[in-house]
Amino acid sequence: MARREKIICCLASDGKMYMPIPLYGFLEGDTLGLLVLAEEAETIRELSRKLQDAANLRVARSDNVDFLYQGKTIDPVFTVAQAGLQALDRFDVIRRHAP
Amino acid sequence: MLSREEWLPLARKLDWDYSYVREDEVFPEQISGRPWLPYTEWKDWEESFKTSYREYVDNQYEKDMAVYAVRDAVGRLENIQKLAAPWLNSLKVHAAALPLAEFTGVIGSLRGARFGRDSAWRTMSTFGALDEYRHTQIPLLLFHQLVRWDPQFDWAHKFYHTNNWFAVAARHFFDELTLGQNAIEFAIGTNFVLETGFTNLQFVGLASLARESSDHMFERMVTSIQTDEARHAQIGHPVLAVVMKHDPEYVQYLLDKWFWRSWRLFSILTGLSTDYLTALEQRPYSFKEFMEEWIIDQYLRVLDEFGLKKPWYWNIFEDELDIYHHMIYASAYTYRATLWFDFVIPSPAERKWLRQKYPKYWDDMNAVWEQVMERWRTVGPGAANELAVHGTAMPTFCDLCQLPLSAGTPGKNTANVLAQHGRKYIFCSEPCRWIFLREPERYANHKDLVKRVLSGEAPAQLPNLLTEYFRLTPDTWGQDVYHGAYDWLAAKKSSAA
Repeated sequence: MARREKIICCLASDGKMYMPIPLYGFLEGDTLGLLVLAEEAETIRELSRKLQDAANLRVARSDNVDFLYQGKTIDPVFTVAQAGLQALDRFDVIRRHAP
Repeated sequence: MLSREEWLPLARKLDWDYSYVREDEVFPEQISGRPWLPYTEWKDWEESFKTSYREYVDNQYEKDMAVYAVRDAVGRLENIQKLAAPWLNSLKVHAAALPLAEFTGVIGSLRGARFGRDSAWRTMSTFGALDEYRHTQIPLLLFHQLVRWDPQFDWAHKFYHTNNWFAVAARHFFDELTLGQNAIEFAIGTNFVLETGFTNLQFVGLASLARESSDHMFERMVTSIQTDEARHAQIGHPVLAVVMKHDPEYVQYLLDKWFWRSWRLFSILTGLSTDYLTALEQRPYSFKEFMEEWIIDQYLRVLDEFGLKKPWYWNIFEDELDIYHHMIYASAYTYRATLWFDFVIPSPAERKWLRQKYPKYWDDMNAVWEQVMERWRTVGPGAANELAVHGTAMPTFCDLCQLPLSAGTPGKNTANVLAQHGRKYIFCSEPCRWIFLREPERYANHKDLVKRVLSGEAPAQLPNLLTEYFRLTPDTWGQDVYHGAYDWLAAKKSSAA
């Protein structure tokens, strides 16, 4: 099979080209991890939503979730870059537990 | 003329001292295996069957004739067409996974036939290689007649020649276990761990399911294969006994590694058939019950016999008995077009049975099925709606077993990332990570499917991935057997489960 071009850029929601950051996303309640292509400038809230949309066939969406990265809960207003997510890192979206 | 009792021991134990080459040149460690020991350490190698070639041929001829007789009586196309649809898909799984895996067993056995350290071992390996040829040819022959009726059976030949994700995982397993393995590790990994343990799942457990499903052709085939396996599996025991005397830590590692790797693959191969693709009234036991009776009890007895310990991951393994193949089945159902066989949603009665058999985590799994069923209710049944009830995001895979990252539970997936030498790897579980770290030079350069996509070796878009890389077509990729048209699904949410 002929070698293809590498995935080097994608079209962002604002129409600009960006370098996607491939991440391993795990949604609580799901049966497998999914590959999620993130944008540096998108927020953690948007990334959580992206994973929930991707897993929606198996797990119902919820607004009441937390985003976990390297054992810490990340503020949903942070961007992917601010949160320090690197290519092929794992993140988790879990149901928010009552305080 | 010598009697059989006189000539057979002479023929089987025919070893000699080398005069013009060194012993380690005849049996290099790289291909004979480690620890490298002089022949004096192997000279008492023995097995109990002590078969002659003539006896072997006579026995195999009779067994082949028995298989063909059953095929002629009840194995014709019209007989197969009467089988339940879910069971037919169980057949498709095994039609694809079995024959060419057995062929890799030919290669591994032939390596033992040349590089095994004692002539009786080499003799037995020669028979083992002939056995594995038989196990390749019989299923290819029997399934071939079904190809014109159902092209998914073409995967009996095609499967290992594709880059389908499950084929990648199966090749990763068999390439290491059988195709590229030295004689000692082959004997311990294949003959001892796989053939005295896990093939019982395939050849005893599935034979029982086939009988219950009235599939007498498949039952006869796997039963016939099992009689061969039981014989050549005997190679493993005496090899393990010799290596134990010199390097018990290595033996423990090989057993722990191959038990885990075998568990991973066979939990899918057999678990899906036992708990999902066999009609409920024809399931004599659950997959977990069969594992406990046929694998675990026997394996622990053998470990005890040799003074070996349970694998360090035993608690993880026992926990997985309750959940792993369920996670895989639900994941695979929602990515069924990536496979070459069809799926069913467990009915309310089946989910009730699954809850009884797997109470620990079934609530989590039931929630997933409820969500899938809700999608079918929303879009409505029908073949045209198949892809509306299908995953679209790229699934992810373990860098060791190459299977989906579906370990742990829906509540806590156990995938973990390792950064090493400028690269990142992800493993579905601690045992997979542990095996990788024991032999990183063996595994580090193999790309899982995600990394093939990211590097441009495989298409990123699902339709292209299915057709160009997995070599599926709309005629052959997996669907829901009933396209969502279940009587019980049309009604309101069932409370049965």
